[in-house]
Amino acid sequence: MKLIFAGILAGLLTTTAAKAEDMVFTSWGGTTQEAQTKSWAEPFTAASGIKVLQDGPTDYGKLKAMVDAGNVSWDVVDVEMDFAIKAAKDGLLEPIDFTAVPKADLDPRFTTDHAVGSFYYSFVLAWNKGAVSGEPAGWADMFDLKKFPGKRTFYKWSAPGVVEIALLADGVPADKLYPLDLDRAFKKLDTIKSDIVWWSGGAESQQLIASGEAAFGQLWNGRVFALEKDGADVGASWSQNLTAADVLVVPKGAKNKEAAMKFLAAASSAAGQAKFAEASGYAPINTKAKAEMPADAVKALPDAHVDGQINLDMNYWAEHRDEIAERWYAWQAK
Amino acid sequence: MSVETQRSIATMRMPGGLGSLLPALILIGLFFVVPVLALLLRSVTEPAPGLQNYSALLGDGTYARVFFNTFLVAAVVTIVTVLVAFPVAWMLAIMPPALASIVFGVIILSMWTNLLTRTYAWMVLLQRTGVINRALMASGIIDQPLPLINNLTGVTIGMVYIMLPFMILPLVGTLRAIDPMTLRAAALCGASPFQAFRRILLPLSLPGIAAGGLMVFVMSLGYFVTPALLGGTSNMMLAEMIAQMIQSLLNWGLGSAAAFILLVVTMALYALQLRLVGARRATGGA
Repeated sequence: MKLIFAGILAGLLTTTAAKAEDMVFTSWGGTTQEAQTKSWAEPFTAASGIKVLQDGPTDYGKLKAMVDAGNVSWDVVDVEMDFAIKAAKDGLLEPIDFTAVPKADLDPRFTTDHAVGSFYYSFVLAWNKGAVSGEPAGWADMFDLKKFPGKRTFYKWSAPGVVEIALLADGVPADKLYPLDLDRAFKKLDTIKSDIVWWSGGAESQQLIASGEAAFGQLWNGRVFALEKDGADVGASWSQNLTAADVLVVPKGAKNKEAAMKFLAAASSAAGQAKFAEASGYAPINTKAKAEMPADAVKALPDAHVDGQINLDMNYWAEHRDEIAERWYAWQAK
Repeated sequence: MSVETQRSIATMRMPGGLGSLLPALILIGLFFVVPVLALLLRSVTEPAPGLQNYSALLGDGTYARVFFNTFLVAAVVTIVTVLVAFPVAWMLAIMPPALASIVFGVIILSMWTNLLTRTYAWMVLLQRTGVINRALMASGIIDQPLPLINNLTGVTIGMVYIMLPFMILPLVGTLRAIDPMTLRAAALCGASPFQAFRRILLPLSLPGIAAGGLMVFVMSLGYFVTPALLGGTSNMMLAEMIAQMIQSLLNWGLGSAAAFILLVVTMALYALQLRLVGARRATGGA
């Protein structure tokens, strides 16, 4: 009898011990999270013995609820960078322990005290070659209904990108974008509003362009990369491509902070970043990663198109997130 | 059995009836009433104590439009659902039982398929390059694709399809309970089929229509996935707006206030309907 109890007790202890070493990684699902699992989590588990459980999709409301309730079940979360900056200000994130995460090779554009880059991407102009005659040369063509008739698709949510595109198309020089002139941007967007189809997720943007439902649109470069890989008849213009980033954060009060920091070190390492970039077409945030990638994979990255590339201002967005969102959704609902 | 014993049986049953309600009451209390109170509390305390969330919601043109959209969509969906469901329910009510149970099975089967899958299927059918538009254009009936998606039409089609079983089921019950002899009697008295429908069948089936209609209306008010995928941004409904406030803007005070208003309006409608149907019963209409 005693033996059985001891056995059960030992069993309980070992399961709790094993659980304490597991950690939870949360991202957006789909091909992106698959690539993150293969490139980061699996090699990390093999090297450290720490199991990485996958959860998702990322939900900012859930993250806040967990932190507020003091019961945080996510250890590392992939979030948009402007959210990370704001969340850090609101006290929702743990500071990064840079003694555990080597900082020297990380792209400073996508590294903050509370976040390490996950990957960066560009918004590019993509089109369905069967549905568009000629080649759109830049954002201004998306607002030219005479030269390029047809539906155009843009990102639905209030986020860095569409407002800037409207301003660029209206002739605002790249270095004068910020502070954003929202009135001017909405006026420009009004001229094509009835021809806009909104996409709310990456898969939807691919479906719209591949089917010709929308003739052209503003897409994440990784999604265009995947379409091209699948043999879809799409074209893309990198003129004035707009960079933004996803970053990895640790929610305040995460239960496995130490494991989380170790995971961040692995994910942001040159090897982890190179593997992920090759699989996804998104750009590495570790400056040494490209050296570890095959040459043709490097060619597909936003890094190959730095000419005329514009960095969306994450700090500006973090600061004005709420007021822009209010204007954005009010304009959409009109 | 004397009147006394009958009464004592009735009183004996009462506590038992309450007792069997207890688990449900506890469940609703813990998982509905308490959270709703917490919601209410949040709506008047975040980000600062006061009613500013409510004044922001009620005083702003955008939010007013979203409220209006929500009720418009729910009303249109309810009306169309009634119109489509009634003939189906009538057919089911008068069908041989064996055949009716097969048709029932088909209707219920549609409820077992994942909602998201069904909504995506509608996207494939309704879009500009979708099956319906292609077929119509190939047959020369139209030369420009019809705008069937990203607007009220798309939302209505998608939601009516999902709501149909919730309308058909209560309606069949009501229709089956109607004595077919009443219709025969009407015909014998010289009523045309339409008169028989309008003056006998329709009034008698009103409780079923009201019950199903209320269920469809209330469910439609809180609908999220279908309007988000098949509607346009100008048809945004309240549930989608609340999700935005909670999930991406983290404005929980405003989101809670919006959710609470929706709840109050829904309950008010329910009370109104109880009263109307009750009144009709009292005057002998149904």
